[in-house]
Amino acid sequence: MILEEFKLEGNVAILAGCGHSWLKDLGLALAQAGAAVVSAGPEQRQIESGIGEIRKLGRKAMAIQTDLTSSREIQKMMDDTLSQFGRIDILVNHLNLEFGKPFLEVTEGEWKRVIDTNLTAVFLCSQAVGKHMVAQKAGKIVSIVSGGAERGLPNGTAYCASMGGVVQLTRALALEWARTNVRINAVGVGWMENSFAGKKDDSVAHYIPMRRRARPEDIAPLMIFLASNASSYLSGQVYFADGGLMARA
Amino acid sequence: MRGGRMILEKFSLEGKVAIVTGGGTGLGKAICHAFARAGADIVTAARRPEPINETAAEVRKIGRRAIAIPTDVTDSRQVDHLMESAIREFNTVDILVNNAGIARGIEPSPWDPTPILPGPIWELDDDKWRNAIDINLTGTFYCCRAIAKYMIERRSGKVINMSSVGGIRGPKGWFTYSSAKAGVIMLTKTLAVTWARENIQVNCIAPGFLKIWEGKASGLPERNPDFIPMGRFGEAKDIGPLAVYLASEASDYVTGECFVLDGIASAGYAPTGYAPIFPLEGS
Repeated sequence: MILEEFKLEGNVAILAGCGHSWLKDLGLALAQAGAAVVSAGPEQRQIESGIGEIRKLGRKAMAIQTDLTSSREIQKMMDDTLSQFGRIDILVNHLNLEFGKPFLEVTEGEWKRVIDTNLTAVFLCSQAVGKHMVAQKAGKIVSIVSGGAERGLPNGTAYCASMGGVVQLTRALALEWARTNVRINAVGVGWMENSFAGKKDDSVAHYIPMRRRARPEDIAPLMIFLASNASSYLSGQVYFADGGLMARA
Repeated sequence: MRGGRMILEKFSLEGKVAIVTGGGTGLGKAICHAFARAGADIVTAARRPEPINETAAEVRKIGRRAIAIPTDVTDSRQVDHLMESAIREFNTVDILVNNAGIARGIEPSPWDPTPILPGPIWELDDDKWRNAIDINLTGTFYCCRAIAKYMIERRSGKVINMSSVGGIRGPKGWFTYSSAKAGVIMLTKTLAVTWARENIQVNCIAPGFLKIWEGKASGLPERNPDFIPMGRFGEAKDIGPLAVYLASEASDYVTGECFVLDGIASAGYAPTGYAPIFPLEGS
């Protein structure tokens, strides 16, 4: 028996993604829970990858190629979504440009690209979609972040700063919009399968208490929970679905 | 999605058996109701028989099986008896919710008219300290210990411990309560890491200000919820689905996490409503 509160029937979700992200699986999960899905991002093949399967489920889906660091393009994506689906209830951000380099060698251009892709895109999408949600007096924003949001990683200064920035944006915006019925939360993923090209190296998997890296189905239910009415008293939170990674000594 | 099953099915508790301590009132009762609606059979335990009998009757009305076992969680023999009785009755225990003790120390209850109220630390004598640690922390330890071998043998289990925002941020004067609840968080993390490879997930919920106490004897003045950023107290409907998520297959990769449920009360560092407008110079 499934509690009604978890269902996303009638919701329209925008899934914004770039880099090493799980757009296809997360889109499918949102659709399985009942939502119509708009997949937005710069990489055509990535945003289109789950659309067919979602339509096979009988849900509406659309891919809109969008530079998520451009407020103009995001606005156009918003307009297209509204003209097609009439409303926006959920925004999921999964911006995950991976980058590792010794700090002294990081160029200004690399720093800006990582911050723009992983953090500024969340700012721009949340501002554009959030404006609509505040006006509609309802909405849920869920950002997917890495363990680098809370912990450090050598050669990961830019990456960790971008992820930590998303968490702080989440907390501050949640407080600012506490009484608007627009909720903002984050899902922490531990080590994603294949992240930082890590499949060959199992030392990371061994470090995780559950001894394996995260797969999309490990975090998708938490995203659904935070995007649904089941979490109506929750905002400004970061919850990890990480096989015990954040808990370990 | 790999695995084939539709994602919403993962949130079902069909065929599961849950033990909920402190299940006669407040949070525990709300969790029993939500679990039953999600398909679980319930073993509800607390010191006084009447409230847990009532909860069990309500669960049966929802259409699930339920038994009530009067238990004082600060007595390890009674806790062992609770676990044995539950397994004997239902042949399985999949979920343990350690919720007992949360009411005491934070507000008076009908059965405990002399709660441990905040006050100067020199008025907190040895017995009061030990008593509050026993109820809020040791009881959780006893329950986890009593079910550990059973869950490890089956290589399957879900444990949900009830902490509090008081275990994360310092509530003025609540020395015992906050120390015990912080202990619950660290017990949770340690169990989670220790049992990660046994397929047992251990998580905790840290509620802030939830208003689901139905007792008339609460005696506390009505508080205006305006001090909470969301502007309202949490309700039964807020805790139920979170507990169901943490008890279900949907959270199988989630362990050692503390789920704060407080209307954003602990996320900030300024009074509620303090929102300075302060432009950049030169712009």
